Amino acid sequence: MTWTDEDLVARSRGGDLDSFNQLILRWERPIYALAYRVIGREEDARDVVQETFLRAFRALPGFKGQAKFSSWLYRIALNLCRDWIRRRRRSPLVELPEGVDPVELAAETGPVESIEDLASRKELSEAVAEAMSLLPEEQRTAIILKEYHGMTFQEIADLQGCPLSTVKTRLYQGLAVLRRNLERSGRLTPREQSGRPAPQMVKRA
Amino acid sequence: MTETFQCGDNTALVGYLYDECEAHARTAIAAHVTVCAACAAELAALRSTRVQLAAWSPPEAELGFLITQRQAPQPLKFKREPKTQSTRWFARPLPAWAQVAAATIVFAVGMLLGIAQGTNGVGSPRNVTTASVQPGSGSAPNVSEASLAALERRLRDEMATIRVANRETVAPSSPSLGNEAQLMTRVRALIEESEQRQQRELALRTAELVRDFDSQRRVDLAQIQRNFGQIEGLTGAEVREQREMLNYLIRASQQQR
Repeated sequence: MTWTDEDLVARSRGGDLDSFNQLILRWERPIYALAYRVIGREEDARDVVQETFLRAFRALPGFKGQAKFSSWLYRIALNLCRDWIRRRRRSPLVELPEGVDPVELAAETGPVESIEDLASRKELSEAVAEAMSLLPEEQRTAIILKEYHGMTFQEIADLQGCPLSTVKTRLYQGLAVLRRNLERSGRLTPREQSGRPAPQMVKRA
Repeated sequence: MTETFQCGDNTALVGYLYDECEAHARTAIAAHVTVCAACAAELAALRSTRVQLAAWSPPEAELGFLITQRQAPQPLKFKREPKTQSTRWFARPLPAWAQVAAATIVFAVGMLLGIAQGTNGVGSPRNVTTASVQPGSGSAPNVSEASLAALERRLRDEMATIRVANRETVAPSSPSLGNEAQLMTRVRALIEESEQRQQRELALRTAELVRDFDSQRRVDLAQIQRNFGQIEGLTGAEVREQREMLNYLIRASQQQR
């Protein structure tokens, strides 16, 4: 039988550690993905995940279920990420590797992709990560919550504590800046930039 | 109600992009972008940026956090993996079977002591028996039917007292029976606690096993994919070499002609 988050929270509040551990198992990956994308460092993202669940566990008696458990977790994680960014504002968000190892790349995706495709995808992922790291924190967080966690504008507004229109503005500005950054890094082709089909060379009759 | 879209209203465009707008707004924007090249281009650029975003994935990380709590009221701690117990053997909790065995031994010793006290006449005055020898009972000269009956009655009384004491967990009249009852209650509580702990441990171990299995499966899949990638790379390189060789041969034969 699969318990809902609410059931597991209720059991956890009654002192059942296993139920809380099930909640951890259910939510640690999304929280890790969120933390990694916001702060850009694997080890620190793991620390944020650990601290998020520890804080949630300690604050569980005060959680009355006004919001969804996941929203509550996201809020804790985002606050921790914000603290982390404040502490380490000087350090770069993304560390770019010097070279691309095709064998290592092949291990990360299915065998249907060619080595060239794999390398290209890896480069694109790094380019996106770098372009995202250049965005202001609010815009970056809004894009991450929308694109990778499928939240609605209203949910993002609640998490960020701002009006819904601000969320839309942040998304638009973030996407626009991101596009410019990607163009600058050469990751967007002319066709992708203009949204129209690229002109083709044809033979004259 | 009809709604017109203001050209350049980018927040409305974002609502349309993520399909989070009213139906009439969607209709108005859809109609507008068919005639406005600038807005159509903007929308297409936003969409292509979203496509690029899909390529960004976080690296695989070994998480598997668990919250554990120590027996004593100490601060909570996290653990990534179950650690081997470093406490000494006498400090570890006994397994359930050992606790049951200990309880049985204690109970049996208690019973024997009670019986011995009854037969030896040591203890309370009501345990004193007088063995009267009946004429004609040659097989058991020291034991009479009356003394056996008295002994049986006394044992039944004591056992009933123990049962009542265990059931109601109240202090019995006799100090020795009270100690036994308390001991039994404590042993039973320990056994129950141990069983609960073991069930909890079992559940956690099962969860960890499932997770380990899953991570091992991922590692195996990654290994297989790596092998496939290598094979693909090698095959591609060989095909390229053969093609180059073929082209070279064709060019050489054409030159010779």
